[in-house]
Amino acid sequence: MATPEIAVPTLSPKELTEQEEALKEIGSDYAERFGFHDPETGYAYKAPKGLSEQIVRDISEYKSEPEWMREFRLKALEHFQQRPTPNWGGNLGQIDWDDIHYFVRASEKASRSWDEVPEDIKKTFDRLGIPEAERKFLSGVGAQYESEVVYHQVREDLEKQGVIFVDMDTGLREHEDLVREYWATVIPPNDNKLAALNSAVWSGGSFVYVPAGVKVEMPLQAYFRINTENMGQFERTLIIAEEGSDVHYVEGCTAPVYSTDSLHSAVVEIICKPGAHVRYTTVQNWSHNVYNLVTKRAVAQENATMEWVDCNLGSKLTMKYPSIYLLGEGAHGEILSIAFAGNGQHQDAGGKVIHGAPKTTSSIFAKSISKDGGRGTYRGLLEVAKGATEAKSKVVCDALLLDEESRSDTYPTIRIDENDANVGHEASVSKIGEEQLFYLQSHGLDEEEASKMIVNGFIEPITKELPMEYAVEMNRLIELQMEGSIG
Amino acid sequence: MARELELPTAKDKGWEFTDLSGLDLDSYTPAPGTVEGVSQGTDSDDGPPVVMPLAEAAGQLSEIVRERFGSVVPVSDPFVARNEANWRNGALVYVPRGTRLEQPLELSVIHDGDGSELDWRTLIVLEEGADAEVWERYRSANSEGEGLFNGVVELFVGPGANLRYVCEQELSERTWVFATQRAELERDASLEWVALGFGSARGKVRMETKLGGPGSSAKVTGAYAGAGRQHLDFDTTQEHAAAHTTSDLAFRGVLADRATAVWRGMIRVDPGAQQTDAFQESRNLLLSKRAHADAIPGLEIEANDVRCTHAAAVAQVDPEQLYYLRSRGMPEPQAKRLIIDGFLQELAERTAEGPIREALSDALDRRLAEILSDD
Repeated sequence: MATPEIAVPTLSPKELTEQEEALKEIGSDYAERFGFHDPETGYAYKAPKGLSEQIVRDISEYKSEPEWMREFRLKALEHFQQRPTPNWGGNLGQIDWDDIHYFVRASEKASRSWDEVPEDIKKTFDRLGIPEAERKFLSGVGAQYESEVVYHQVREDLEKQGVIFVDMDTGLREHEDLVREYWATVIPPNDNKLAALNSAVWSGGSFVYVPAGVKVEMPLQAYFRINTENMGQFERTLIIAEEGSDVHYVEGCTAPVYSTDSLHSAVVEIICKPGAHVRYTTVQNWSHNVYNLVTKRAVAQENATMEWVDCNLGSKLTMKYPSIYLLGEGAHGEILSIAFAGNGQHQDAGGKVIHGAPKTTSSIFAKSISKDGGRGTYRGLLEVAKGATEAKSKVVCDALLLDEESRSDTYPTIRIDENDANVGHEASVSKIGEEQLFYLQSHGLDEEEASKMIVNGFIEPITKELPMEYAVEMNRLIELQMEGSIG
Repeated sequence: MARELELPTAKDKGWEFTDLSGLDLDSYTPAPGTVEGVSQGTDSDDGPPVVMPLAEAAGQLSEIVRERFGSVVPVSDPFVARNEANWRNGALVYVPRGTRLEQPLELSVIHDGDGSELDWRTLIVLEEGADAEVWERYRSANSEGEGLFNGVVELFVGPGANLRYVCEQELSERTWVFATQRAELERDASLEWVALGFGSARGKVRMETKLGGPGSSAKVTGAYAGAGRQHLDFDTTQEHAAAHTTSDLAFRGVLADRATAVWRGMIRVDPGAQQTDAFQESRNLLLSKRAHADAIPGLEIEANDVRCTHAAAVAQVDPEQLYYLRSRGMPEPQAKRLIIDGFLQELAERTAEGPIREALSDALDRRLAEILSDD
């Protein structure tokens, strides 16, 4: 059944509830919690501002990369230079590509012990609660500071089972064949201008490999920190989940508050082999002077499940639409997109699901909250390609405007090329809400719990929340009950 | 001016799904078309309300025409510019303050034979408290004729006025159709607008409703049914520019053979347009494997006390319903037709009972019979 169904109710109550009123506080303590910066003493290298072939060659040389990677970078640079700046989504016209440091090395190496991390940097991560979270909740941690990872550790028992969790530079050095096999297979360097830029100057990020059947019970986490002004951070992450494996990867990020702009442009590629389950959670909390332009894409093979939990709290402008290509029969994809846009912010976020095989299922749930003149945009794509018979999908977007100055946009697109299916009329939005509500209530849940489950796509919302201190806002937004969603 | 504006390409926003590469504007000779339903040579002694040729009205009711002509549809794309430069025939419907028309007005516009271009223009002005029903039909003189129809429709609905307007497009399936149709509603005005998209080969029809005055409301209904290689393209906008306004838009299509359709809908809520209630839905029923439909809904909201909802779906005939009807002894073609008919007839039910609803229902039946016989 190709039953694409898309429902985007927006409802703001005349008077804000207490819970909604409390949202106005989000972000007000940013400067103190995350907005500080360290002195740049002891920095190993800081590339001059601007981008050139020489800079790209230098980065490759500093990292002593194999020839094929250097060539890959140079080709990507050409793509970047040839492509026009996108003129849709947010306003990218003010980015000064020449006013950015494309590579900054703060520390000579990635340590496996916090004691070896330079003092200032260690203090920063202490302040962000990273070592503490590692002890309590995580299977492994990577900490990136500027262009490179300064700390990386994974639990020994996982290492023994063959789990690889290292920074991308180390991954390329120590597992070159594996990296080369999958590198840029999901996101080619000419995919878009920003992916081309990342491909040219990438540095840091994570390389994750989970062998067949291995279930990583606690999340792996990477934390990204920009410290210097006019910085460009271009991490690159590749996750390979072999057959029947299970992993949850979490990333967080923050930056100091500056009056000039920085750029963060990552590429994340994920391969979910048959029956694998990958969840990728992002708590994006860049300061309001960071352009966040990210390309994230996953492929899911037979009966695999891919989930994106994408929470955008920070940045000046975010343009990010995590995608899932359901390429194997029975694959399932799920996107929970949460955006919070405050003063001067534009969150242009959403998700894309492409059904490319029979019996694939997906859901996209998006919530956006705008305040103080902020702008929240949901931009999504749901595509059912030819041959994807009996595909099922559902998209629900909710938007909340906390005041009259703010703005919300919704641009969902559906493209259905597979009609070789027998499909029933489906009920209207509100009716489905009521039916689901009734169903859940008849199974003993009260209305509030039931509604919450509907908003979160029947997956226990609590499992999508995170215990980390930097995730408190995200947890609140996941729990936030938005009336519009139940029609 | 029209010559200077370049045709959009598939790279231009809004034109991604409608290929104009086969369109050669210069190959058509202008033709005025013929019109039934306007009163030729009405002299002003008869007094308004009037339905008259627009060119004549420009002389006799120059104030009204001057005030409203081009005010609802400004020159926004090359087709509107072309219409404004080339139009020779059109109609003005003018209903003065407080006047109620008892009978629906019918306007039949016939597009002449092969290779001609008709730039048609309709202007409907309802003054405060007026009430009218207008049914406008676009047809081709020759059902095999190849041509270009380029229309502009301006609907002005004054304070507290009620307009019910049906635009039925039954041009030959070898005609390019372009149209920009726009309604502007003043305080407490109401509009019921029905578009029937049955004919034409390819093109684009824009339908925009601006709720400009507080308390105004619009119900926009679209029904289309395509067969063969027809490509139907609708672009709708519901613009809420004032507070306490309501809009309800529903588009449904049935596509057979290799027919394709695009519907792109935007709800725009301007700053300050509080207490807006806007709804849009698009549903398509595909009768063949090669039929295709795209739905691109959109919301742009700049007021915080609003309710906006949209829904879209693309589906095939429900096998369970089919099975049910067949188990009651109904032959499959008949059962299928009943289901498809039901899907479209729900649209007719959106209009109030009366002659218009009946005529709508008949028009849908007639078109359905056509595309199912080709099937």
